[in-house]
Amino acid sequence: MIFWISAVVGLLVAATILFLIRRDKLHVRHGVFWLLLAFAFAGLGFAPTLVDWLARVLGVGYPPVLAIVAIIAVLVIKILMMDIDQAHQEVQLQRLIQRVAMLEGSLQQRTRIDQQRAQSEHMRVNNDDNHSAP
Amino acid sequence: MTARASVSPRVGVVIPALNEAASIGSVICTLRSRYHYPVVVVDDNSEDDTATIALKAGAQVLPLAARLGAWGATQTGIRYLLQQGYDVVVTLDGDGQHEPGSLHLLLEPVINGATDVAIGTCPERMSRLRLIAWMMMKTTSGLRLEDITSGFRVYNQRAMIELADARATLLDYQDVGVLLRLQSAGLRLLDIPVQMRVRSEGASRVFHSWLVVGRYLLQTLILGLSKRLLGAPTGSKS
Repeated sequence: MIFWISAVVGLLVAATILFLIRRDKLHVRHGVFWLLLAFAFAGLGFAPTLVDWLARVLGVGYPPVLAIVAIIAVLVIKILMMDIDQAHQEVQLQRLIQRVAMLEGSLQQRTRIDQQRAQSEHMRVNNDDNHSAP
Repeated sequence: MTARASVSPRVGVVIPALNEAASIGSVICTLRSRYHYPVVVVDDNSEDDTATIALKAGAQVLPLAARLGAWGATQTGIRYLLQQGYDVVVTLDGDGQHEPGSLHLLLEPVINGATDVAIGTCPERMSRLRLIAWMMMKTTSGLRLEDITSGFRVYNQRAMIELADARATLLDYQDVGVLLRLQSAGLRLLDIPVQMRVRSEGASRVFHSWLVVGRYLLQTLILGLSKRLLGAPTGSKS
């Protein structure tokens, strides 16, 4: 019975992933991993003898444990990869925030220089007018 | 140092500031009364009037759209001054702890080329608990510097380039991670004893709660262990 449950859960997860990609809620890059995992889960359900055979080869007494351990290992690797990806995105976001601040600073400085230049130009024109007045 | 720097290096000051409205104005005024270096205040998304006061005091303000922490703000200032063609950058806190009067002591060895980074040290300001934390950090990281958390520093252009890199953006604090990065790049670090004042306003950004201190200590110890050099430790005292 557990193998049928596994197959149904796998197919349901696969359908959910496809739905999320269709609705633009999940990036297809991430969807590929989850789809493969869901199909592997479903495959275990449809071919239970595969786990039994592999467990016998590896010397595991209780075959379902092998499937559970394998899935936990895959999920741990996935979570680690997500953290690496998050760190990368965090760096990009921080660099962007820094860049915006730097641009704002440059803009402020440019505005200040322009104002000073306009002020001195205005004073020069006023002085010229005063000198040229009869 | 560049050829232009050997003639007259362009020096800029970076002050990372978070809610320092009470002290930032006087820090900038003291600096500007003693030196002619441009002052860049990086406002770490303050909730008070830090940016306005800094602008009125004559500093240039880089406003961060989101809070990046003391190191994120400092790195912004370093990146900005590097982009503007500066050769040397001074970093100091906006809470009035660091005496601008001691700045020449830090600047001299960097401008002379005696060192790449000068760190203003004042271990006397530390409580016994903080000294124990320092000792643990120094043991795990292999750093032999006197004051590893001091934000009163002078960096030359080589150090600025190293610290402006994207890989330094992942660091959370301006202490062990930054120093180890500089050390692994082969840069020379020099401790210089300076006078520091008691914080005039506000609280430390790290040592204000036991939970934060615990997290900081754990992160720093792991960082120090993972990045420590396997060769001889560097860093010297003046």
